[in-house]
Amino acid sequence: MVLKIFFPQCCNIADSGLLIGHWIPGHNSAVVLAVVHYPFIPGQVKKYLNQMQSQSQVHLTVLGSWSMPKEGKEGMDSFLKDLSTIFPQKCWLQLSREIGKTGFTCQVVQNDGKLLQDRKEKNDDDSSEEDKIIFVHYDQRKVMLSQLHPVQEVSQKSEIEPSELRLVFQTVAQSQPLFFLDKYDDGPLKLTHWQSEGREASIIAELLKQASVPVCIFLTWLLSLWHWFCSFRILHSWPVLFISSKLSTCVQSGYRGVHFKTVFSPQKAATHMDFMRKANIFVSFLVDIALGLLLVSWLYRENRISKLADTLVPVADRVAKELQELLEWLMGAPAGLKMNRALDQVLGRFFLYHIHLWISYIHLMSPFIERILWYVGLSACLGLTFALSILSDIVALLTFHIYCFYVYGARLYCLKIYGLSSLWRLFRGKKWNVLRQRVDSCSYDLDQLFIGTLLFMILLFLLPTTALYYLVFTLLRLVVVLFQGVIHLSVDFINSFPLFAIGLRICRPYRLAEGVKFKVLCQEPGTPLHLMMEINPLKFSSVLQCYRTPTYSGYPKDSWAALSKKLFVGELIYPWKQKTTKTD
Amino acid sequence: MGNRRRGHTHAPKTPPLSLDTHSSDHEQDVKHRICMVSDFFYPNMGGVESHIYQLSQCLIEKGHKVVIATHAYGDRRGIRYLTNGLKVYYLPLQVMYNQSTATTCFHSLPLLRCVFVRERITIVHAHSSFSAMAHDALFHAKTMGLNTVFTDHSLFGFADLSSVLTNKLLTVSLCDTNHIVCVSYTSKENTVLRATLDPEIVSVIPNAVDPTDFTPDPSRRDNSKITIVVISRLVYRKGIDLLSGIIPELCGKHPDLCFLIGGEGPKRIVLEEVREKYQLHDRVRLLGALDHKDVRDVLVQGHVFLNTSLTEAFCMAIVEGASCGLHVVSTRVGGIPEVLPDELVTLCEPSVQSLCDGLETVIARIRTGNVASPATIHRKVRTLYTWRNVAERTEKVYNRVCREPVLPLSDRLHRLRSHCGAVAGSIFSFVAVITFLFLLFLQWLRPDHLIDVAVDSSGPHSRLGQHVSKKTSKTPNPAVS
Amino acid sequence: MAEEEFTDINGNSISLDCQTHSAFCREFTVTAPKLSLRKVMVCTCFIWLFAYAIFFLTENTAVLSSAIILTLAGMMIHIHFVKVDHETLLIIGSLGIQLSSSYASGRESTTFIEMSKLKDIVINEAVYMHSIIYYLCILIKDPAEPETVASVVPLFQSSKPRLNCLVQVYRSCQEILAETR
Repeated sequence: MVLKIFFPQCCNIADSGLLIGHWIPGHNSAVVLAVVHYPFIPGQVKKYLNQMQSQSQVHLTVLGSWSMPKEGKEGMDSFLKDLSTIFPQKCWLQLSREIGKTGFTCQVVQNDGKLLQDRKEKNDDDSSEEDKIIFVHYDQRKVMLSQLHPVQEVSQKSEIEPSELRLVFQTVAQSQPLFFLDKYDDGPLKLTHWQSEGREASIIAELLKQASVPVCIFLTWLLSLWHWFCSFRILHSWPVLFISSKLSTCVQSGYRGVHFKTVFSPQKAATHMDFMRKANIFVSFLVDIALGLLLVSWLYRENRISKLADTLVPVADRVAKELQELLEWLMGAPAGLKMNRALDQVLGRFFLYHIHLWISYIHLMSPFIERILWYVGLSACLGLTFALSILSDIVALLTFHIYCFYVYGARLYCLKIYGLSSLWRLFRGKKWNVLRQRVDSCSYDLDQLFIGTLLFMILLFLLPTTALYYLVFTLLRLVVVLFQGVIHLSVDFINSFPLFAIGLRICRPYRLAEGVKFKVLCQEPGTPLHLMMEINPLKFSSVLQCYRTPTYSGYPKDSWAALSKKLFVGELIYPWKQKTTKTD
Repeated sequence: MGNRRRGHTHAPKTPPLSLDTHSSDHEQDVKHRICMVSDFFYPNMGGVESHIYQLSQCLIEKGHKVVIATHAYGDRRGIRYLTNGLKVYYLPLQVMYNQSTATTCFHSLPLLRCVFVRERITIVHAHSSFSAMAHDALFHAKTMGLNTVFTDHSLFGFADLSSVLTNKLLTVSLCDTNHIVCVSYTSKENTVLRATLDPEIVSVIPNAVDPTDFTPDPSRRDNSKITIVVISRLVYRKGIDLLSGIIPELCGKHPDLCFLIGGEGPKRIVLEEVREKYQLHDRVRLLGALDHKDVRDVLVQGHVFLNTSLTEAFCMAIVEGASCGLHVVSTRVGGIPEVLPDELVTLCEPSVQSLCDGLETVIARIRTGNVASPATIHRKVRTLYTWRNVAERTEKVYNRVCREPVLPLSDRLHRLRSHCGAVAGSIFSFVAVITFLFLLFLQWLRPDHLIDVAVDSSGPHSRLGQHVSKKTSKTPNPAVS
Repeated sequence: MAEEEFTDINGNSISLDCQTHSAFCREFTVTAPKLSLRKVMVCTCFIWLFAYAIFFLTENTAVLSSAIILTLAGMMIHIHFVKVDHETLLIIGSLGIQLSSSYASGRESTTFIEMSKLKDIVINEAVYMHSIIYYLCILIKDPAEPETVASVVPLFQSSKPRLNCLVQVYRSCQEILAETR
């Protein structure tokens, strides 16, 4: 087997001393975590290691010795060799550097004192043996902070044995307590590791950490107030529930409430994923608010609200008028088609009356529209997503007549299609077997066939008229659905975009690691293989995939084929989906 | 399957049908590199598929190199290895209808050329006239200057429009094929007439069954009732509409009669309706699609094997049935009368009444005990058709074919025009020229010397036996089905 | 340190550079020919002439500017995402296998596969475009069932070397795998 030694870069130029680290069970590899310098008292080292072990849950041991020759000092080879008797180990590593060389040499002593590999003696007769050691240099700080993907938490014990690299990453991350000792500490031991030059600390960050707990508690209390308000029985009666489930503003506010509950929970995020979710939601919330405030500042300047209100009523009027003309066109001979006159007139009048009703409502409302808009605009303070949701609701309310037309047309058309298809089966001497969900053959009477044929012909000849109305109103409906869909998508995008993770990926690429990559360091004859382990950052696409906040309103689930089939058969289509089921 | 066959080496005693090729003995030890091309191969099930598989296995045993080219089935695409290093190319060609690929005469050329070149093929053997890919391969092989053999597995009519068209196509594609193999004399007659061939170059080599796979087991029968077994695809060609007429009539007369029907297809609904209409759920069992290995277990449960085919070149199913010791009742169509000796089969006209009569006589004989025991029937059938015999005769065809010259393009064009009529001849001459130019273009785009020669997995230079450990790692998906 | 000339499946010459770092660490670099200036020039000239012809007919200057932007963007995309300069396979015994491909723009994408996930390295055949080629691939174990293959990672995907080159890489990889298992 090949012996792998993971060696931190910062210890390359450390003074001579003892190597502290961890043997990874079952993999024949050792992770060096720190170097303890001379002079030390062996008993204290052991005590310190025990203390660290209880803190970090990592089995820390003395791996071997490290000798760094200095000008004017003689080597301590013999002394280092003797140390192995003080710290009894299965395997004792003796790493040493030589002046003027970049590579290290390594000797491995088994516990019976025999040299497994001794470069000086075996140099000429068996040169392949010395190659059985790989040095993997790593940046301790990056490895400690980085998170390997796919994320696998330490606490959850899975069936699959974690791989070697994951174990290395875990070991370094868990032995964080070891790195708190720096050279300004006046302890009995002197260590070299990544923080040995002085600990990183920021007063502001510490203060924020301290302050966040009471703030969170306060906000949670506010949230519970809101929940208490929401739990009034009157809000759970059927009509309120129905309307609130259809209004995207209500949905968005419910969604926001859930987000707040996650973010402001006073518990510390236990796992990496929880932490990332909290941070993502918080950052997107901040961005949302900022965008909303920008919108407000733009909207309430230069009397834009009243201008908007002044244009809104004529637009609604105009739409109604256009519809009226369209209906009149349909009632004649649209595109030269000859329709069934009676049915055409009935349908056309029916729809015209609807438009008439609608226009009178709009005019009744027109004096209040500016007020309404002014108050509604304030909602943008709650975030851009709220403003967009309200816009979507307003559009839905203003195009309610189109929706009604569409539903009437679709129901009529659907009925005809179903009638035609079952009568077509009757023609061919078949019938739909409901129990077995298949088409059976069946013999009909003459009367049945006669009636069936009559009905079939009537339906067939009336179909083009209905189909035309259906087609026109479906197209109108599709335009509205498309617009609402775009708004929903953008709201969804703001809600679910993992802004924090993307920022982390850009500024600290090593924090989110997909894996590692190795570089072969310059090879000197006579030294073992030296590799440099770097962190391979996660791809942007996988960052998005991994950290996207799950949304409640799904994207349209049916494919285009399913959608067009629905349109053809005349089933109703909605822009909103089931929002109770959570889709990732 | 191949290993089991290796243990069984007795030579066929009486080849029932003579071979009209004149082969000389000194050609015996020439080893060929054969490419079998057909649209129909496993995982699709049927007669052609098992024919190709068994024939290839026997040829590999004889030391030839065999590869199979077929189109991709679902996610089974790419290259697979079956037993004994039989290499199968599942080429990604678009399936059009009934598992047959669309034919344009051109689009399959690049892939087939690649297969022929990298496997250093000497003989292209195409199967089934329903397979567009087989016809394409014949055409391309001639363009590339390879010798070709064609096996026809089915019969066609002459009267309706579709037959006229397909017959014309067959004429064109077989006009410069070196040798044609048919599975029965009826089929030979049919093919010669349809494709206006010289009967000299048409041989008859029947299909075979593996008798060791189909052994009788009378203990599995339920002798308190009489069971009629039908195993076929449930399609129009197999006469399922006849079957749906037979079932109520016979079940009404004989209360101890049951039907056991294996297979799947669009006509299944007809049988289900019959079953429901006459309340025969306990007596007519529809087993659905059967694996090849399960066929025997179904066969041995019955007393009578019924075949209602409307057209059939050589019916393998009745041989399998007889080999399991069942008495066979079949329609007298196509090559079926040639297949079994008269004492083993009852032949009827393809009508409900005639089939019912035939079945009734057989049932009466069973009731009186006046039938041969399953073991005797099996013993008679066992030596009739073996794959070893088929392979030997096919080998003779190959030996003859490989000595023949391949016509150059000018002769080919001449032959096409003189043989296929003025209009079709001219059209296909034009197509042949275009294909030739396309081949030249491909050879310019990717010359032959740039195509890596494949490592042989069967044949005289097979690497499979020598480096077992290496090859197992080289073939990650060694085999299926 | 040997550098050898091979051809890829289309007949273009590629070079295989085999570097032995130690007995169980080897690096194979397949270098494809550089982006030929002539091809780029021809392509650009063609598009510009075409754009000029349209401009001549329609007298709309937007055509010219869009053609320039199109060629520049196409060029960027090509060298950044399509054109692979060299592909490297670094095999380190008992640690793993690293595949990296560096694009003409200098972008590098690297994947490291640990030895515990790796089942084997094999040469396989595949239908590629309108031909059938040999390629080298890594078989990845299914972590739940170590005997089955969960996925296949093809090597030297953009410079597709021919069989003789693959066999050479395959042999040395198998040597290292056999030694360190």
